[in-house]
Amino acid sequence: MKKAIMLTLALTVFTAMSASAHFQMLYTPESALDKGETIQLRHVFTHPFADEHTMDMGKQHDSDTLAPVEEFFVVNKEKKTDLKSTLKPIEFKGNENSGKGFASEYKARSMGDHVLVIVPAPYYEANEEAYIQQITKVVVNVAGAPTDWDADLGLKAEIVPLTKPYSIWTGSTFTGIVMSEGKPVPFAEIEVEYLNHDVDLAKNAMGKAKVKAPQDSFVTLGIKADQNGKFTFGLPKAGWWGFAALGVGSDDQYKGKELSQDAVIWVQVKDMK
Amino acid sequence: MKKLIIVLAVVLSASMAFAHTALMACFDEGDGTVTCEGGFSDGSSASGTKFRVEAGGKTVFEGKFNENSEINFKKPAGDYQAVLDAGAGHKVVVQSKDIN
Repeated sequence: MKKAIMLTLALTVFTAMSASAHFQMLYTPESALDKGETIQLRHVFTHPFADEHTMDMGKQHDSDTLAPVEEFFVVNKEKKTDLKSTLKPIEFKGNENSGKGFASEYKARSMGDHVLVIVPAPYYEANEEAYIQQITKVVVNVAGAPTDWDADLGLKAEIVPLTKPYSIWTGSTFTGIVMSEGKPVPFAEIEVEYLNHDVDLAKNAMGKAKVKAPQDSFVTLGIKADQNGKFTFGLPKAGWWGFAALGVGSDDQYKGKELSQDAVIWVQVKDMK
Repeated sequence: MKKLIIVLAVVLSASMAFAHTALMACFDEGDGTVTCEGGFSDGSSASGTKFRVEAGGKTVFEGKFNENSEINFKKPAGDYQAVLDAGAGHKVVVQSKDIN
């Protein structure tokens, strides 16, 4: 009897874990700024809805040393600026465990769009004996002037927005095109998750869960792009939503192991009030 | 019928005028000057658009946004306001308390 309970528990834990998706977060509290200011960013590899496991960014299969972030940069008015030196290592506290990530600050001074992109080192997922690398984009706007939000940056894996990612009302939609090096990826598999927790910037910690999933398929929502790599998703609740197009990148091997090179974009939704 | 057409024309031109909004953001350079950037919500530049600084009800500086859609001026002592003036319906005012 005891054994049966244990087995059931183990199975429950396992299925709960497999139901939620890995998401590289490039978190900042506000993506639509009234005027230029220095913004706070947190770079955390986690499961934003369930928050049952925070991962160590850059974990490798053959070493205890975490691999450094490959690239972190911003594009404003078509000018690319390297921000890698602004990354400071942090221990980020999830509700279940802590994981190694980064904090940074960025002075979003100039009017217009600031497209922030992080290319983390591939992360070794022991459960799958494979690496995951999520090239992640977030767009911060100053004073409402559109400049770069729709740019195709030609990344190995990228979601190019067709909707401004920082001005979305609750109940409206977000449309994007999944791309790899400037070419659309037809029928790309996309996972969608809601950031179901407030992020405490001072404590580098996740808050309590806001909503409950009625069933496992609601934790990570699965959609697919159409034949042109395009997708649209309706956004039912204010906050941050993440979209991850899986395995769409041009690289599929890392250190002799399978690599899933994913494209992630975060969009921020606001209530009409 | 004629009246209807006129009304429609007025409505149409009014809505066209509001189809894009003028925008401006300013920042203190920290060297005694302030830079303002102008633009429009459709992404177009404010290059050549009129700009002025008002303090105590008087215009203390006048100019036009440059080719980079920017303008730099000497920061007046005390409260002031920066004004982008692109004509009817396209005016943006930024108060000095909002410039840092």
